[in-house]
Amino acid sequence: MDRITEVQNEALAAIESAADLEALQQARIKYLGKKGSIQALMSEMKSLPKEEKPAFGQRVNVCKQTVTEALEKAAEKLEAKALEEQLVKDRLDITLPGVKKEAGTIHPLHMIQQEIEDLFIGMGYKIAEGPEVEEDYYNFELANIPKDHPAREMQDTFYIDPNTLLRTHTTAMQMRELEKAKGKTPIKLICPGKVYRRDDDDATHSHQFTQCEGLVVGEHITLADLKGTLEFMANRMFGEGRQVRFRPSYFPFTEPSVEVDVSCPFCNGKGCGVCKGSGWIEILGAGMVHPHVLEMNGFDSEKCTGFAFGIGLERVAMLKYGIDDIRNFYINDQRFLKTFDRFD
Amino acid sequence: MRLSYKWLSEYVDLSGITPSELADRMTTAGLEVEGIEPMAKGTHLVIGEVLSSEDVPGTHLHITQTKVGPNDDDVLQIVCGAPNCRAGLKVIVALDGAELPDGTIHVRPLRGIDSNGMLCALYELGVDKKYLTEYQCSGIEELPADAPVGETDVLGYLGYDDTILDVSLTPNRADCSSMWNMAKEVGAILHREVKWPDYAGKAEIGEEGTFKVSSATEKCPVFYGKAVNHVKVGPSPKWMVNYLHAAGMNSINNVVDISNFVMLETGQPLHYYNLAKLPAREITVRDDIEMTMTALDGVEFEIRKGDLVITTGGEPTGIAGIMGGEESMIDETTDSIFIEAASFDAASVRRSSIRLNLITEAAQRFSKGLEPLAMAKAVDRSVQLLTEYADASGFEKTVIYGDPSFEPKTVKETLSHCNDLLGTEFTMDQVKEVLTWLDFNPEVNGDEITCTIPSYRTDIERPADIDEEVIRLIGFDSLKSTLPFMEATVGRLTPAQRVRRTICELMTGASLNEIITYTLVPQEYIDEAFCACGDAIALAMPMSDAKKYIRTSLINSVLECAQYNTAHQTGACRFFEISKVYGKGCEEERLAVLFDGNLQEDRLHGIEEPGDFYAMKGLILSLLKKLGFSGGRILIKENTSDTVHFHPYRSAEIWMDRKFLGVFGDIHPAYAKKFDLKKPVYAEIKLDQLFETKGTRMKFVPLDRYPAVSRDIAVVADTEVSAKQLMETISRAGSRLIRNIEIFDIYEGERIGEGKKSVALRITYQASDHTLKDEEITKVHNQILDALKNKLKAELRA
Repeated sequence: MDRITEVQNEALAAIESAADLEALQQARIKYLGKKGSIQALMSEMKSLPKEEKPAFGQRVNVCKQTVTEALEKAAEKLEAKALEEQLVKDRLDITLPGVKKEAGTIHPLHMIQQEIEDLFIGMGYKIAEGPEVEEDYYNFELANIPKDHPAREMQDTFYIDPNTLLRTHTTAMQMRELEKAKGKTPIKLICPGKVYRRDDDDATHSHQFTQCEGLVVGEHITLADLKGTLEFMANRMFGEGRQVRFRPSYFPFTEPSVEVDVSCPFCNGKGCGVCKGSGWIEILGAGMVHPHVLEMNGFDSEKCTGFAFGIGLERVAMLKYGIDDIRNFYINDQRFLKTFDRFD
Repeated sequence: MRLSYKWLSEYVDLSGITPSELADRMTTAGLEVEGIEPMAKGTHLVIGEVLSSEDVPGTHLHITQTKVGPNDDDVLQIVCGAPNCRAGLKVIVALDGAELPDGTIHVRPLRGIDSNGMLCALYELGVDKKYLTEYQCSGIEELPADAPVGETDVLGYLGYDDTILDVSLTPNRADCSSMWNMAKEVGAILHREVKWPDYAGKAEIGEEGTFKVSSATEKCPVFYGKAVNHVKVGPSPKWMVNYLHAAGMNSINNVVDISNFVMLETGQPLHYYNLAKLPAREITVRDDIEMTMTALDGVEFEIRKGDLVITTGGEPTGIAGIMGGEESMIDETTDSIFIEAASFDAASVRRSSIRLNLITEAAQRFSKGLEPLAMAKAVDRSVQLLTEYADASGFEKTVIYGDPSFEPKTVKETLSHCNDLLGTEFTMDQVKEVLTWLDFNPEVNGDEITCTIPSYRTDIERPADIDEEVIRLIGFDSLKSTLPFMEATVGRLTPAQRVRRTICELMTGASLNEIITYTLVPQEYIDEAFCACGDAIALAMPMSDAKKYIRTSLINSVLECAQYNTAHQTGACRFFEISKVYGKGCEEERLAVLFDGNLQEDRLHGIEEPGDFYAMKGLILSLLKKLGFSGGRILIKENTSDTVHFHPYRSAEIWMDRKFLGVFGDIHPAYAKKFDLKKPVYAEIKLDQLFETKGTRMKFVPLDRYPAVSRDIAVVADTEVSAKQLMETISRAGSRLIRNIEIFDIYEGERIGEGKKSVALRITYQASDHTLKDEEITKVHNQILDALKNKLKAELRA
């Protein structure tokens, strides 16, 4: 066996036996390094006769290539093995809790408000706003509730002076919008907001609460349109398949006026504790805008009609989430608020 | 109102309609029935006669032999404890198995003595004690001597076989608090004929008299009076007593009961005066009297100008429509009366009755307004009943002040308008039928319907009122569901609404919970307001001191909320609230943010994000950036405006476009203590400017094509040197090549020396048109170091 074969075999054996990347690196230095055995063979070439040099050189190159390839192959294998070992070492206890990420929550009343807003924006409504410290004129007079009207007894008012008050209903915003429109239609809006009445706070009463009213005025707006619109809203808020029932009622600013019941979402109208066995839940008041209200605001009541509705957001939230005490909304206990930190 | 089913059936045929069916039909038509209850209850009852009653020695008990049937052997031994139990009494017997309001009667020995039933008092059958005398309440009921022994329909015999419907009337239907009008309404609902008693014209009798009535105020436009020179006071007929009880009123005597009964029938409150006790044969209504008056129940009332007062011979005798005077009260000795049926201004009566706290039945009825013909009806019916049940005679001619004439309203509506408003397809026949049942006398002419409205339907004024009658009586079930068909409109949020939503998203993303606190606050919250929105608005009549003012800032409400949550250990406080605040003549919208404790915390993973000044600063600035406000438009500077609520050295003012937005930072420890809070960090920001101002335009800047180079330095400077000074000095010296300066560490301590701090910074250099060469950077970098040294005495750290 000549020198070249001897070195090649020796190198291949060393590569084969390398147990890890470190041993392989040693082999690389020993055989392929600058001072390695194969380089040494190259220097031997100088002492050879001229005619032998090409053949010898070619053979050394083949040897070098063979050893390099073997090294690469071995390295690949060992790297794969090392990675495999590393993966095992990196094993995690996947049952440990993940990093806590506290999420804040929107107040449940605003959650419901936004839901209603989005629903009506989608139908081309705008969201009106108005002052909470309101004039008697917008809160009562324009809403067809003149001084000494018996309906003023229905809602006890926080007066500031004889002409100023904390608004008792979001109807005040409707009146401002009607006045602003100067008789021009169409009007399509909702007006959510805080309202105030002289009630002692208890589980079902609050001197401050939240309403959202809707108003549509145009030509040929009908009571049936009101029903369809409210059915749309009920389905969105309480789930598909809700039915809406009207019962006659009275509000000074609408004629006809109706109380609106929604088929109970908890028992599907069969009767349960929430709907007190009736299958229906009273949810809002509504009606066709009183012609006198339209006239006072500069509309031609012969030509245009409109509907209006009003809903108490506390009541919706209480029904929807089974909240038993209205004061929860204003105490703001974080344990209460955190109930609502998810998609609904 | 309490509606007696039995009484109603005197006017409308209710056969085949149970009380609960009636309640459903009424509710569907807009007269909401809130409850149904029987006047009295009891099964297995029979009228008996006590044949003998022996005392049981040493007890209050009696052993009776009571006859309960026609045969001689229909006798039961019943033990009874009532003191009035005695032989010869006709009694109510509850037999074995009788179900009474308080339970079921089971036959069992009483103290070892066989007892086969119970002798009953009326209250034991559920009759309200307020209708019974003290004697009736103290023992068993004593039936009349002619009561038929063996009669098993005892409730029928007593007249208590009635059911009461509790009807909630809407303010526009006060007319239905008259039984007659209610009957008309029920007739229209059920499509059944209604028959009122034949009362009309009964008062057209009597001699010319001397009594005069008048009014000195327009608040009493009409006054009917009628003198009756002879009446006989005595007990009322049983049916009347029963109906009064059913309506919730007590029986007093026949004359007083008739006045109440007629009021219940017609809706018109009446006052009957003891004619002989009136100081003059004259009544004048006035509203210009100031005095103290003693009313029926002996209580004194202060009468002011504006109160309607009845005067006779110049002397006040009663408060009109509210309460009569004691002098002229009807009692057993009364033998002549004067009937008053007048029209008093609803608002005046309401105001006076509320002020005097005299919410009488009459006052309530006047307050709701009365129909124009009620006075005439009530006088007619009074004469009829007084004649029949109080031997009334010696009538004088009715005297009337004012003009009682009545012209019925006519209201026109068209079928097409009705259907157009309702979205229905009713036929003329359907509509006409409804209006006919309502006694609106519809006259049809083509598409047009002309209605003549009965006097009591004062609520019907316009076509829309007719439409409401049509839909409520045909029924809402016939209504389709449609959506408005109209010109397209765009629905979208206003800029302010978008800003609010963005705030909510950002704040909840930063782990904060939205809260809503009360607008009304106590005085101290006003005195200690943060940057008050003007002078506080006080309520004219607050319900309590705690809810007296409209808040001028949010700070105290939010701290109070944190106090509650801390006391209840609900976890680290993290809140925000968006709310309006008010002052005299001004309205502002504000954002309040509060945290006390960590924003994020996870000990297992070594994460702690403290809710401190810097967290607040970062949050507020990222919010403003999100809204399009950043860079030079925002200025953070030393807080000199409010160091009462805020820590003087750990808080800052925030300004935008040279306008004050608010303050953020640590709450002053002394102020935090008031709310028992540890280390609250708070911000209150005015939002209106953010709503009204446009954010900086969004614009794309071409991406850098040449690499950036960063160099880190650490400089030692005096502790007073601010980060802002360092950054600005570097920025100016470094000119356009600087892309970013980041402070990544601050060290103070022994190794640096007293009064010094070491600040580590990373400066990033970049040019937009070429790759920076080392020499270029070094040149600029050295300029920076020189500037730091010369301007701030900040040396490169060794």
